[in-house]
Amino acid sequence: MHFKKFIIIFALFVGFVMALTPGQAQNNSDRTSDLQLLARAINGEARGEPYEGQVAVGAVILNRVKDPRFPNSIAGVIYQPGAFTAVSDGQINVPIDPNSTVVKAAQDALNGWDPTYGCVYYWNPATATSKWIWSREIVTKIGKHYFGK
Amino acid sequence: MEYDEKEYILEKHEAHDSEHKRDRVPPGYYARNKAKNVVIVFLALTTLFGAYEFQLAVKLRRQLDAQYNRAFYEMTGYVQDIEVLLAKAMLTSSNEKAADILKDIWHRAELVSTNLGQLPIQQGALVNTQKFISQVGDYAKTLTSQNVKGKTLTQEQMDTIKNLHQLAVSLNDNLDKFHGELTAGTMTWANLAGEGTRLFAKNDVEIPMTISNIDGTFENMPTLIYDGPFSEHMTKQKALGLTGDKVTEEQAIENLGKLFGKENIRNIQKVSDNKNGVIDTYNFRFELEGKKEKSIAEADVSVVGGRVVWFLYNRDVGDVELDIDKAKEVGKQFLEKSGFKSMKDTYYTEQQGIATINYAYEQDGVIVYPDLIKVKVALDNGEIVGFESKGYLMSHRQRDIPKPAISMEEALQKVARKENIISSGLAIIPTNYGSELFCYEFKGKLDDQDFLVYINAMTGEEEDILLIINSDEGILTM
Repeated sequence: MHFKKFIIIFALFVGFVMALTPGQAQNNSDRTSDLQLLARAINGEARGEPYEGQVAVGAVILNRVKDPRFPNSIAGVIYQPGAFTAVSDGQINVPIDPNSTVVKAAQDALNGWDPTYGCVYYWNPATATSKWIWSREIVTKIGKHYFGK
Repeated sequence: MEYDEKEYILEKHEAHDSEHKRDRVPPGYYARNKAKNVVIVFLALTTLFGAYEFQLAVKLRRQLDAQYNRAFYEMTGYVQDIEVLLAKAMLTSSNEKAADILKDIWHRAELVSTNLGQLPIQQGALVNTQKFISQVGDYAKTLTSQNVKGKTLTQEQMDTIKNLHQLAVSLNDNLDKFHGELTAGTMTWANLAGEGTRLFAKNDVEIPMTISNIDGTFENMPTLIYDGPFSEHMTKQKALGLTGDKVTEEQAIENLGKLFGKENIRNIQKVSDNKNGVIDTYNFRFELEGKKEKSIAEADVSVVGGRVVWFLYNRDVGDVELDIDKAKEVGKQFLEKSGFKSMKDTYYTEQQGIATINYAYEQDGVIVYPDLIKVKVALDNGEIVGFESKGYLMSHRQRDIPKPAISMEEALQKVARKENIISSGLAIIPTNYGSELFCYEFKGKLDDQDFLVYINAMTGEEEDILLIINSDEGILTM
């Protein structure tokens, strides 16, 4: 009886370890354009947020590209180490439907809609661990995120 | 107690059983042994698996550190180059040589920026350093184009270069110290990224002194004003097109009602008062009774003047029923209804059944591109599903447009492919540093490639060339 319990525990442990190891990367779409990358970033960062909040996250990324304090390409900004959790936790690699809302939101951001008026930071006040981020000037609050300069 | 009893009974029971069996193997021996073996195998497997994973992690860490080191060494090399080049820029008396040196600075700054952006350094820790590098590059680029036009550097510009050089020297010193810590092993990239502590960290990992020293150099950097996109004046732009008194929240809602029809707006809520941005606004969320369905819409109304700055109405679009010409007309009608007169459609994109059309203001036959409004038209039923007027609100005013100093024919002589020009007109175009240029706009076609050339109507200089991209997704300029 005891051994069976052990076996079950070990099996669970092994399964747990396996689950923690990242699996084979999903088949990436052949389009690596800015729109696709931006849409994936929005999907990883703001899925479940109001539409405006998704556009806003896209706008922050584009505002960074234009800001001297950040890298000057969309890929450079998104993949800056530690800049976005969607990159650290792999959410950015989740494939998206070409007709999904995040693609529309990315398109609107690229077309110049910016609900944040030039913000380069956003954070979730409930989970943000950085003290520094609170020193930013808040411009707007959309859904779960604060947007600041 | 209970347990012991059970065991006892069980053992008794088994002992009794064994009497009927010939072999001496205790009962349950095989089953128990099998279970033991399975556990041993599992243990061995997990240990092996763990060891493999650990090795893999070490290998990946090494690869990652190698990438970080490469980026760091490249970056420091280019920063040293920039320091030397800035010193040389102060010593040359030749315009051509100065242009060469400045071009090199610009190029090196781009490379520093790319590498710096790859280092795993906490958010915000090196923003001022990055800004310094971006501005050095941008400033050098601006001076290069000035030199190319044959203008010598002014004393003021020389002083700025001297300042930038001093900052580059201290950046190099600080990078040296940082390099020392890296090679001594007192600092690792994993530490810098705050890895290994994240799981339990309540707050930030403290930014190491060496890093804050690097960035501290630039905290009180003098503001750089010049004709480039990273110039300080770009962050202090005012909304020239917003005039009038401050409006209340109720008035703002009323203005939205004028646009969509009061009866179509339900459950309107003010979500936020937007401050500190370029335009202060009320942000609203409401249900819009659209032609097709009721859906959530979001909109901003400016506090000053009560203008709708943008709105978005995200809904699925059905089969395309409208062509682009009809959509342009629908958009224009909407603009007129909203009080934007004299708007001319320019370019558009078409995606997922929605046309996004750009309209520019037209004054006395001159197209004013900075006064830009974008309208999204759903191509299934012609409904307006989006609107964005920040460009217009930031720059619109009645301009004193001068008489061109050169004639259309004179300007045409400046165009490289005169024979390919199809049409011409006058336009005001924006620069990437916030100013405007009054130009002749020539449209031409070369080997099926449509293009636009802008010749300054006052000086005759060629200011810009744009390619017009005709694709399934619309007409764009690049």
